[in-house]
Amino acid sequence: MAAVVAAVALSLTGCSAGGDSSSEQTSQTLTLGTLMAPKSFAAADSDFANVSPFYQAVYDTLLRMEPDGTLVPMLATEWTYNEDKTVLTLKLRDDVKFTDDTAFSADAAKQNLERFKAGTSADAQFLAALQTAEAVDATTLKLTLSAPDPAFLGYLSKDASFMQSPASFGNADIATNPVGSGPYVLDTAATVTGTSYTYKSNPDYWAKDLRHYDNLVLNVYPEQTSLLSAVKSGTLNGSLIDIAMIQEAEAAGYKNNAFEGNWVGLMLFDRAGTTNPALKDVRVRQALNYSFDTKSLLDAVNQGRGTPTTQVFPPSSDAYDESLDSRYPYDPAKAKALLAEAGYANGFNLQMPSTPLVNSSIFALITQQLKDVGVNVETIDAGNNFIADLLSAKYAASYMILEQQSDWQLINMKIAPNSAWNPYKYADPKVDELVKKVNVGSEDEQKSAAKELNKYIVEQAWFAPWYRPQNSFVTDAKTNVELQTGNVYPYIWSFTPAS
Amino acid sequence: MYRFVLRRLLSGVLLLFVITTVAYLLLYAGGGNIARRLVGPTASDAQVALKASQLGLDRPLPVQYWDWLTGALTGDLGRSWFNGQLVSAGVSSRLSVTLSLVLGAVIIAAVISVVIGVWAAVRRGWVDRVVQFVGVLGFAIPGFLIALGLVSLFALNLKWFKATGYVPITTSFGGWAATVTLPIIALSIGCIAAVVQQVRGSLIDALRQDYVRTLRARGLSFNRVVYRHVLRNAGGPALAVLAVQFIGLLGGAVIVEQIFALPGLGQITVAATGQGDIPVVMGVVVATAAIVVAVNLIIDLAQGWLNPKVRLS
Repeated sequence: MAAVVAAVALSLTGCSAGGDSSSEQTSQTLTLGTLMAPKSFAAADSDFANVSPFYQAVYDTLLRMEPDGTLVPMLATEWTYNEDKTVLTLKLRDDVKFTDDTAFSADAAKQNLERFKAGTSADAQFLAALQTAEAVDATTLKLTLSAPDPAFLGYLSKDASFMQSPASFGNADIATNPVGSGPYVLDTAATVTGTSYTYKSNPDYWAKDLRHYDNLVLNVYPEQTSLLSAVKSGTLNGSLIDIAMIQEAEAAGYKNNAFEGNWVGLMLFDRAGTTNPALKDVRVRQALNYSFDTKSLLDAVNQGRGTPTTQVFPPSSDAYDESLDSRYPYDPAKAKALLAEAGYANGFNLQMPSTPLVNSSIFALITQQLKDVGVNVETIDAGNNFIADLLSAKYAASYMILEQQSDWQLINMKIAPNSAWNPYKYADPKVDELVKKVNVGSEDEQKSAAKELNKYIVEQAWFAPWYRPQNSFVTDAKTNVELQTGNVYPYIWSFTPAS
Repeated sequence: MYRFVLRRLLSGVLLLFVITTVAYLLLYAGGGNIARRLVGPTASDAQVALKASQLGLDRPLPVQYWDWLTGALTGDLGRSWFNGQLVSAGVSSRLSVTLSLVLGAVIIAAVISVVIGVWAAVRRGWVDRVVQFVGVLGFAIPGFLIALGLVSLFALNLKWFKATGYVPITTSFGGWAATVTLPIIALSIGCIAAVVQQVRGSLIDALRQDYVRTLRARGLSFNRVVYRHVLRNAGGPALAVLAVQFIGLLGGAVIVEQIFALPGLGQITVAATGQGDIPVVMGVVVATAAIVVAVNLIIDLAQGWLNPKVRLS
């Protein structure tokens, strides 16, 4: 969920203030711009996506994800599943200390995982499958799952496995003064909460080769004007920036590291026709797919930076099928014909929410394009309740920007009947069967089932995706970065000084 | 004078109490389901309930208010719902940023306004007309445009000052000056425009008074009359305008702080209001109400010192 909101916030413009308390910088300080500040440094309340660097600086995870998505050892040196993938045994390092001098152990890991699952993090459901955690001995952790979860190991490389010193769980100031075992220690005296965060090296860090800078400064700029000023004045070594600012950032000597992490288009939630009977007919949903001139939309909305698509799975996924991208070319005549076939020759009415968080011209474009094929769109301003309204099945269809995660995460976020972005809880036996195969099949079965699932979803027009918009992480001449698969913000280990 | 001060002080405290109580009841009654917003739309009901009880929101409103009030009296304004920071620490660190901007702007405005205002009132003629014209212009151009212009010219092109960020004066005076100069200039321009007009106007009025003619007839030099007598009489209204400007600048600083990415009160207010971070909003209300009450008190005292008649009313 954090990722969703982050994705929205990334493509839209934030709405509060930002700043940086800059001090004298040396070449050993990495200064980065971010769009939002973390809510709380307590590991059990942590988020990820846009705020991942704030936490990665102070908290280690059990596993680490390389930029290409490969999982490698971190606090856990090895891990094995049992036969039916419900018992995961991890071997842990024995040379790690938290910054309060408490030793890291299997028991500390157990306590952290249990706290995260029971806590108030928006990502607490990452550990939904975790039934029990058991510290077999100081360096052996046994996790028992209620059912196999192909994404579980990936979750252990994210906020779900941030390791905080158990001795600090009760600290009154834990929300602003984290105690972890990560590469840095938050310098609370030099930090302005919500605005600028200064980190110093953790002298006892166990993996010094992962740390490429002595100090780290993370500045928050939800306001694009001040972010652009900070970029143009060379205050930042790197930052996630709005697509509209790329030219100015490039003119200021920054490198544009572009990536496509989201998809934009319509979510067609009401596939059973519960609130809008028209959407029950697959021909109507296909007609909606044919109605959008996605290339022109991309040019108009995102300066042409991005790639038109008709599928919600990313190119890095096993499920991705390039040929599907030409499944629904822009064809209003075909759309009208399909609507007529489905019994809507005179069109139908469709209520969709709008939000001030999204440029209003987008809703005007949607209304216009659908009007051309006879669909009358009524736009209702949902204000700040936009996402909450979508998730509570108030609307049959809506414009949305969503993240493209790894297959299993994506399935559990927008396809499975109990997933958050399937608010009408729509189920289809064929989808259920394929999802099951993706979950428990052999590796080959998983891949082919994912491909089949994607093709089926596109054929059934569960969504009407337009394009994958380009996002950009800019870096100055002194800084190199490797972008991260599946996360909008590069991981802190991926930044290196340019030699 | 002693009773006058005491009376003003008591009414100030009473005002502060009324403002914060009303603000608390309005904010908390309209708080909505903040726990749900904090844990995200996909969180379970148990998570929402857990958050609400962590924040103490499951208690009756009067109990919450009593806790807040007794805490506030000892300087404890609670913690931010969104980042866990102590409200008193967050607000006071940001107050120092905003106050350095606003006080800087007001002091600069006061000095420049008196100099220019006296010059225009005494010289009249073309000087007066130019001052009036520039004054209207300074008043008409929005502060954020001035700020953006200053950033692009002096920070991005000439690189004389910092474009964003803040360095505390305790860390480095040079760094502090490099970060606050442009924001102070941006803030002071509108303020100067307003105060100059007031100084000029009341000085011209005062110069027309009979006592000026009398003093001049007694052989006192013009300068002595202006600086010893006229300015003191014209000072009251100018001081009042300056006080209004000071309070107005607390609001005006919001936009300037955004443009320069300064961690001031404006920034925390915008962020906290947008998020519904009510403890922080309350902290800001307390701080600004206290400042407004204090400024009014100081102005009253200054007026009383300038004009003994005020003390009697």
